[in-house]
Amino acid sequence: MIFGIIAALFCHIEHAMSKVADLFAATGQLAENIAGFTPRQAQTDMALAVEKAIEAQQSLIVEAGTGTGKTFAYLAPALLSGDKVIVSTGTKNLQEQLFHRDVPVLKKALGSRAHVALLKGRSNYLCLHRLAMHGGNSTLVNDEVLDELSEVKAWSTSTKSGDIGELTTLAEDAKVLPFVTSTIDNCLGKDCPDYEDCYLVKARRNALDADMVVVNHHLFFADMALKDTGFGELIPEADVIIFDEAHQIPDVASEYFGEALSTRQIHDLAKDIELLYRTVLKDAQQLQRAAEKCKVAASDLRLQFGEQGERGNWRQKCQEPVIQKQLEMLESALKVLYEVIKIHLGRDKELDTVYDRIVEIQQRLATLTDTQQTGVSLWYETTLRHITLHLTPLSIADKFAANVKAAKCSWIFTSATLKVGEGFDHFQRQMGLYDAQTLALDSPFDYPQQAILCVPRYLPEPNSREMAATLLDIAAQLVKASDGRCFLLFTSHAMLRLVAERLRERVTNTILVQGTTTKRALLEEYLADPHAVLLGTGAFWEGVDVRGDALTCVMIDKLPFASPDDPLLQARIEDCRRQGGNPFGQLQIPQAVITLKQGAGRLIRDATDKGVLVICDNRLITRDYGKTFVASLPPMHRTRTLDTALQFLRDLREEGKNNETTSD
Amino acid sequence: MPNITFYLHDQGEPSDVPAHWLTACHVAAELSSKRQWCLVLCESQQQAEAVDELLWQFPAERFVAHNLSGEGPAKGAPVEIAWQAPARPNRHTLINLSGQIPADVERYRQLIDFVPADEAAKQSARERYKAFRAAGYSLETQPASSITEKQHG
Repeated sequence: MIFGIIAALFCHIEHAMSKVADLFAATGQLAENIAGFTPRQAQTDMALAVEKAIEAQQSLIVEAGTGTGKTFAYLAPALLSGDKVIVSTGTKNLQEQLFHRDVPVLKKALGSRAHVALLKGRSNYLCLHRLAMHGGNSTLVNDEVLDELSEVKAWSTSTKSGDIGELTTLAEDAKVLPFVTSTIDNCLGKDCPDYEDCYLVKARRNALDADMVVVNHHLFFADMALKDTGFGELIPEADVIIFDEAHQIPDVASEYFGEALSTRQIHDLAKDIELLYRTVLKDAQQLQRAAEKCKVAASDLRLQFGEQGERGNWRQKCQEPVIQKQLEMLESALKVLYEVIKIHLGRDKELDTVYDRIVEIQQRLATLTDTQQTGVSLWYETTLRHITLHLTPLSIADKFAANVKAAKCSWIFTSATLKVGEGFDHFQRQMGLYDAQTLALDSPFDYPQQAILCVPRYLPEPNSREMAATLLDIAAQLVKASDGRCFLLFTSHAMLRLVAERLRERVTNTILVQGTTTKRALLEEYLADPHAVLLGTGAFWEGVDVRGDALTCVMIDKLPFASPDDPLLQARIEDCRRQGGNPFGQLQIPQAVITLKQGAGRLIRDATDKGVLVICDNRLITRDYGKTFVASLPPMHRTRTLDTALQFLRDLREEGKNNETTSD
Repeated sequence: MPNITFYLHDQGEPSDVPAHWLTACHVAAELSSKRQWCLVLCESQQQAEAVDELLWQFPAERFVAHNLSGEGPAKGAPVEIAWQAPARPNRHTLINLSGQIPADVERYRQLIDFVPADEAAKQSARERYKAFRAAGYSLETQPASSITEKQHG
């Protein structure tokens, strides 16, 4: 009898505890309130695991294959928990999608009144102070900028959020943006006369008050690494932290736990001093001259490198006598500037922050030229006009794990691509998440029926000279068979350009090439033309969601191993070797596997999608490590007969045509 | 001088490819897991490509790195599939799908051959068996099921 009561009690508790199970059931709130919602076991499993992790304040890592519905699976238990939640995702676009699309749908279905806020990075918000500064007849700007400036001014009187993204007429890289937004360097912080009206401050306050804040990884890690004033406030408040697109966070975290200094910052500094000199400190010509010297010294440093952008080992490079000499000149120019500005301290608030910036730049330069330090990679990167020096920790596992431990909350990491082969070890090792729970959920798609993976026979060895001709030939056959609707993904710009050029002579389809316009515009063009072919590198391997007939074929030129010239990778390889590890197996293969999974993931986005993935790299077949790649890809039907793949594409095309006629 | 093993096939389930081709793949997988490099010798390029396809379609956990003649790294993959006897045999085992007595048999440590279910092919296999015995090789026979069971067990 007593046992009966206890059992009944447990049943009751069990039932009460599985709010989430009820929610996702066939008769649950989601099915009732969201059109087209059907329960999926994998989604429910994930939601339950997230619920459990939140209750137990644990860390959870979930790989959820495409189509699992992971967004609802983490949002729903997070909203139900009533806890304070941070959701971090990969990009601004994904942030907006979450905030404007997924969260409202779910809140409505749940009848939730949670206060949800969107918080973007500093550069997305209008800076009233800088707008006012450039309001007068600033001589520093040209006509184009002046036009944009008046546009911003008109909008500034009506905006509530101050989010520059509202101004859709303004290009993403509009020249006016640096004049109307702030940087960590030029922000006056609490000393700013416009502090109380500051949009960034308001957005941050709103975020602190919210039950759920949607941020992106860059913002999150900047906050964690205290890279901006007022940072470090967000995380201590949170009970639950959720990372979507979590496969990106090892790289983002490394960036923010490191240091960087660009000559652009020195140029900006000089520009701001120039402006001060012309407006409020007209007597300080010496200051203006000292700033100009710093700018010249910074440019001279850049001139020591080739015209083409490059990346390299800074630890080695900065020991070269010519570079040493330039560095000394830059250091002494900064020293002079520092001495001169000290004289003027207290005369103007703006000037005082400029002083802080100089000190900061001097300190950073010292850190970045200290070649004796260990555990970090020192590397540089040049663009046409600038050079950026970087210090990146070789491992962030300890630092991140310490942060996870210190924050009393649950951490959820999810993505479609976290596992390498069968395990999560790679991700866990990178992030120091050895104790986290893990969960792997297969995609609900019927890959053997929906897709073909083809590695054509008799390919030349990768990197051999004949490869370009072979790729071109295969690409042309694929484009003809599917009549466009292809993504050709490349691991190098050189190969991309080569194939793009010659493919135009072989097929009549529209050829869209990355680099000619923005990613978004290129995708729009692709979608508008039902027979287009898109050729892309890096940016198109991830975060592109083209469903249905618009994409039936993805060709990949090579297994995406990171370039062995990459200075950060080199440093990590050395470090791994020093510790007796196997860098190829522990670093290079896992990185390539995750990238390949992302690229392959572009093909099948929906339960009714069909298509062909062609990977033109015979190492997938001929090397033992091919096993890790094959085991990590979705279980598509495998063939080596290109004709089988081509026939599948032709059949799809016919099917598509027939569907069109019947629907007419 | 190699040891020679013949795998015997009964009339099995009808399938797209002859059962002994699949047995050859299982043997190749087994050898490869023991790090013994082998050559699968076929009678034609077409057959070689069919065997290549079979190996590529093995479940991921039983992945077998392999190459066809004319592709892959300079030294080849652990399993090489050819349709012409190599000029300089240098592999541990020859898996004979050519239906003939291959050249340079004595250059291998081990030779695997097959008695298919098909009558004509069976007859030809018997003749190879006799010829090998006459040449004094040590021979054994195994039911084909023994290798597939080993692979799945």
